Amino acid sequence: MGRSQDTHDRRNRWLWMGLAAPGAIWLLVLFVAPFYVMMAVAAGGVNEFFQTAVPTWNPLHWSSANLSAVWHDMVGSGAFLGPPALRTLLYSASATVISLAIAYPVAYFVSRYAGRRKTLFLILLIAPFWVSYMMRMLAWIDLLQQGGFFNSALSFVGLPGHTDWLGGKSATVVLGLVYGYIPYLILVLYAGLDRIDQSLLEAARDLGLSKWRTFWRVTVPLSKPTIIAGTFITVLPMLGDYFTNQLLSGAAGTTMIGNAIEGQLESPGETGQGAVLALMLLLILLIPMIYYAVSTARASREFA
Amino acid sequence: MAGGNVKLESLTKQFDDVTAVDDISIEIQAGEFFSLLGPSGCGKTTTLRMVAGFEPPTSGKILLDGVDVGNWPPHRRNVNTVFQSYALFPFLTVAENVAFGMKYKSVPKSEINTQVAEALALVQLSGYEKRRPNQLSGGQQQRVALARALVLRPSVLLLDEPLGALDAKLRRTLQVELGALQKQVGITFMYVTHDQEEALTMSDRLAVMNRGRIAQLGTPDEVYNEPADAYVADFLGVSNLMDARVEPGGNGGGPCRVRLGDFVLEAAAGQLDATGAVKVAIRPERINLHPYEAGGANRVPGMVERLVFLGSTTQIFVRLATGSALQTLVRNDGAALPYSQGTPVSVGLPADSLRVLPDPGVSVAEIRDKTLGDQLLDLTSTTSS
Amino acid sequence: MASAVGEAVTAPSGRATVAWRGRPRGNPWRRPWVMEGFTWLYIIWSIVPIAIAVLFSFNKGASQATWQGFSTKWYIGNSVNSVLHNPSLHQAVIQTLNLAVLTTLITVPIGVGFAIGIDRWRSRTSTGLNFVMIFSFVIPELLLAVGLFLLVTQALTFIRLGTTAEVAGLVVWNISWPAIIVRARLVTIGRTYEEAATDLGASRLGAIRRVLIPLLMPAIFASAVLVFASTVDDFVIVEQLSSTAPTQPMSVLIYSNVHGGLSGPALNALATIMLFFSLVVAVVGFVAYRWMTRGERTKSSSAALTSIAGM
Repeated sequence: MGRSQDTHDRRNRWLWMGLAAPGAIWLLVLFVAPFYVMMAVAAGGVNEFFQTAVPTWNPLHWSSANLSAVWHDMVGSGAFLGPPALRTLLYSASATVISLAIAYPVAYFVSRYAGRRKTLFLILLIAPFWVSYMMRMLAWIDLLQQGGFFNSALSFVGLPGHTDWLGGKSATVVLGLVYGYIPYLILVLYAGLDRIDQSLLEAARDLGLSKWRTFWRVTVPLSKPTIIAGTFITVLPMLGDYFTNQLLSGAAGTTMIGNAIEGQLESPGETGQGAVLALMLLLILLIPMIYYAVSTARASREFA
Repeated sequence: MAGGNVKLESLTKQFDDVTAVDDISIEIQAGEFFSLLGPSGCGKTTTLRMVAGFEPPTSGKILLDGVDVGNWPPHRRNVNTVFQSYALFPFLTVAENVAFGMKYKSVPKSEINTQVAEALALVQLSGYEKRRPNQLSGGQQQRVALARALVLRPSVLLLDEPLGALDAKLRRTLQVELGALQKQVGITFMYVTHDQEEALTMSDRLAVMNRGRIAQLGTPDEVYNEPADAYVADFLGVSNLMDARVEPGGNGGGPCRVRLGDFVLEAAAGQLDATGAVKVAIRPERINLHPYEAGGANRVPGMVERLVFLGSTTQIFVRLATGSALQTLVRNDGAALPYSQGTPVSVGLPADSLRVLPDPGVSVAEIRDKTLGDQLLDLTSTTSS
Repeated sequence: MASAVGEAVTAPSGRATVAWRGRPRGNPWRRPWVMEGFTWLYIIWSIVPIAIAVLFSFNKGASQATWQGFSTKWYIGNSVNSVLHNPSLHQAVIQTLNLAVLTTLITVPIGVGFAIGIDRWRSRTSTGLNFVMIFSFVIPELLLAVGLFLLVTQALTFIRLGTTAEVAGLVVWNISWPAIIVRARLVTIGRTYEEAATDLGASRLGAIRRVLIPLLMPAIFASAVLVFASTVDDFVIVEQLSSTAPTQPMSVLIYSNVHGGLSGPALNALATIMLFFSLVVAVVGFVAYRWMTRGERTKSSSAALTSIAGM
């Protein structure tokens, strides 16, 4: 079937190209080009007077001044970029693991056991999607305030109720990340688990595997691609997060690499270094992103 | 609209490394019901799609009433298709579906409703105008697809296994209806199917295809009773193919003598001038079973292995003394059968029904595996290429 | 040795039986209480904080923590601080709506065209473009925002920071929604309908217009709803590309005022308004989706819901 479509489509090439053109141009100009500009700024100089960045467009004239400055900030004496970088990894890893631990059972339950109430559960699970990130963080800010519900509840049960949760605690930031990113993960896991053919599981049970064994030896392997995809779309954006810790903490002890990037970008004279940092993050993420893109593209073609 | 002559000249279609249609030439007369019969992958659907315009041919010509339309896009050809999946537009009503193509024929609005009503009456679906496709049964959807194509009065109607998704009884009913409809409308029908019963029932002529080539082209009677080779013989019904050798000392023009194991029989049909190793075939309904002791010409001793009750007939599986297994058929006319499992019999293979076929170089078992496998494939697949 | 509970066993006589060693643990058809309880706990944890925040937008007092009675002053009552009267709050609401509508109107058509074009145009360029689109889906928003900021301030300086830049950036950020959703639906639809249309006399373009687009309508609609909600919610890109106060939508306003600035419940009110917009659009989308697919085979509500959510 696929082959006959190819010969068919070759005749109408211009039509397809025309349809895709506006989107393609938009992507090229506003997605690909910005990264070239980023490189030009990262490898560029500084206008001494205004302390603004001066991009160097010609690759042959790129300088590594900003790069060495950033490198210095990471590993040299007085380095200050190390901790945020480490914290970013730590926060993202913990938040992702916790999210998976919560999301998988929930998704599993709703996709396989919810029966007639599936629609109800889905509505409840999708609802956070429509609640903006700001609101979700605001909700926790309200609850975790000094005089807020959480502390009142703690003192109600006899635990100390005066902790300043919003004053710079890593736990709060991780909680915020989990709370913020988990709805996407649940839905991706749900979609993947829902696709698993019930008869495969029944066949396993029929062949003698207990419930647990069926789960570990059949369900989990079948859901592995979904778990991986879900992990990717959770972790990758999280690594660039800078606003969650600002909202829930605001202290210097919980900053992530995103804050460093933003900070340098806005500081006079350091825009170039901010660009370097951003590019470094991009480079680290490039391989997982390519992996994700390839497997997604392949998966969508297999469904054809 | 008169016309409807379709001529394919040396038509070939290649996809990358696969030759789906290999140099076929057919001429279909105007008003004929012509079928392309074959298993999945034989190229019949590809041929149809080339006539419809969905595939450009790699080489060769497609002539509609003498005009070479090989490179014309589908919407310019006066040819319409009934798809296997019907392809009714789910967001339109039945009437809107049928009227879809009329927009391009500049038919005045007032006329459209009349013609739609006529088309629906033709397929016995009057009154269904306002329904939606998902409210119709499979058979009804197929009729709407027919009406939608016929209302445009094409010179040729192409049908791609339209009855494939229906159950057996409905299929048989619709086969008869389609045949009658074609005669009534007088349009050339080009029909693709893997079901040999369908092709034999409905066609004026048919072409049996195998691996992109035409194995035989002729009327149903010719193809069934005078198969050109072992493949065609075995594809159409039961052929009871057996390996044999032509006895030397031929009698020039008359029936030839063939050796099956220890027995020599006369064969008066098929390729009588063949020599050496051949295949012989005989249709089940031509085989006669006689009591074991009875004598006679062209008899081989054998034993009844199994009886299968089919309702109006009984299938009898017989094992010959040569080792071959044959199927024969008797009508159930109420009288008890004089044999049962294990009864020794004398199997009569009348000379004029015993057909000599060229040996394709593969064993009977392999041929049977291929045709049986192909047919099984068709049963389990819903699309053919 | 000791088999797990419930494995078939060979009887001493040597013949396999279906006797079970030990009792099967529990009723195999019992309801999974633990998982269900866990799910409900998650749902409560997920929704209750938001409900409380919405509640506090109606607080009479200025606290986000202590309930002081019901009032709508933060929305319309208070002549200084309510959303209706406070100009910066007011403008933010308008700007959010503005951005959302503009972005949706641009992103959906070009995204749909992109999806159809890329699906059919088989070449290395199209595969590459598809990759770029997937990248835009999975990249941290900050990186794109930084790139866009630099692009606008250093290269394409004729696009100044502000609404135009914001919309341009939002379109790029959201183009993956229609591209992916419509593409998935295209694959399911297949080619037969368009072939039938051309067979009946439609040109290629006519077939797309009269047959393919109507068939894609549910997916187009679902992606429009998602783009709208995503834009209402968006923060990172608009913050980078905004300039003066009127170009700051609600999300940015909330962010900059969380640690001081506007009083708490006013922010809650803004957030509740954002929630309201998204929910209205979501409900409209759900209803419209069901209406549009009424002509096709019956779809369960869960299918409609997951389509709206982009799966």
